[in-house]
Amino acid sequence: MAASTTGPVAHHFDNLAQQQTTVRMGMWVFLVTEVLFFGGIMCAYTVYRIWFPRDFEAGSAALNVGIATVNTFLLLTSSLTITLGIRAAYAGNQKALKGWLLATIVLGSVFLGLKAREYHLDYQEGLMPTSKKVVVYEKDDEGQEHAIERSVFAINVERVLHEEKFDTAGVNTQRVQLFFIFYYAMTGLHVLHMVIGLGLLTWQLILAQRGFFQHTSRYVYIEVMSLYWHFVDLVWIFLLPLLYLAGSHTFEQAIHQFQHALGMH
Amino acid sequence: MSEPKETIFETDEHTVPSTASTMTTFAILLALTAVALTVGFSNVGPWKALVSLLVACTQAGVLAYFFMDLRQADKLTWLTVGAAIFWTGLLFLFTLTDYLTRHMAAI
Repeated sequence: MAASTTGPVAHHFDNLAQQQTTVRMGMWVFLVTEVLFFGGIMCAYTVYRIWFPRDFEAGSAALNVGIATVNTFLLLTSSLTITLGIRAAYAGNQKALKGWLLATIVLGSVFLGLKAREYHLDYQEGLMPTSKKVVVYEKDDEGQEHAIERSVFAINVERVLHEEKFDTAGVNTQRVQLFFIFYYAMTGLHVLHMVIGLGLLTWQLILAQRGFFQHTSRYVYIEVMSLYWHFVDLVWIFLLPLLYLAGSHTFEQAIHQFQHALGMH
Repeated sequence: MSEPKETIFETDEHTVPSTASTMTTFAILLALTAVALTVGFSNVGPWKALVSLLVACTQAGVLAYFFMDLRQADKLTWLTVGAAIFWTGLLFLFTLTDYLTRHMAAI
């Protein structure tokens, strides 16, 4: 940390304005690559959603929309707390800065905790893509039993959709499985970004603890990290309608599902 | 000894938004989330996906303009954001025009 002894402008910059512009620019260029990164999978999703709308709506209806709703508000509030953190750093209020960084870390961590619970519930309900099959016996019109091979995923998703009172007529469960592959890939990538974001926030909290932000011009580092954090929020803003709200849901169902996730009944 | 050089960048006169304006942005985002959820939890038929995405785009716009401070960004940053939107547009355009018209080739 040579900069803290030699002043806030690093040797390869002409002045502070140039340094701060460069720091912001660097993050924006990185975010361009991130937009294209998420754009790729969202584009693939769009193609399949247009091809198989009914099956994707069925997959969406099987998701826990209660957790997703609460998580949306958590992430939005964390965008607020980090923005207030920038102001605290700019004003040189170290105590407030640490408080807002900590609040953002807490909100992000609760989001991840709930997401982990959601994945766990999905696992318990058997909503994991698999090629496993089981033999079931079904009676035909004459009462004759026949052994039929059925996909484990199909049996599970049909059970969940039946519980959600979703009409499964005309739904192809293999295509629903495709929806779930998108669901895990997209939310998984988002979770990965959240984990990295939490790492950055923790690092800045440590820096704040060590007095790095005593130079108030260094507020720009909080600002630049907040650009990344806001971007992660921005991705979620699109994941919510694409994955969770594509199918039919109600507020009552969301409340019920959230209470279920917390083990309240 | 070299003379201190003039910056080649545009002058960068950033001010940090006041707490009041930050809270206003947050309130707008909360209201838009309420709209997104109301649309998501209702049955507005085939337009649901389009309306949901329009609301999401508005939310993203507010978030980028105020929280990500595009409001004060220089031309180079706007160009960078524009490039991201442009290339993502191309990504969608060429992928969709290919995949959604393939059945037309099967004459």
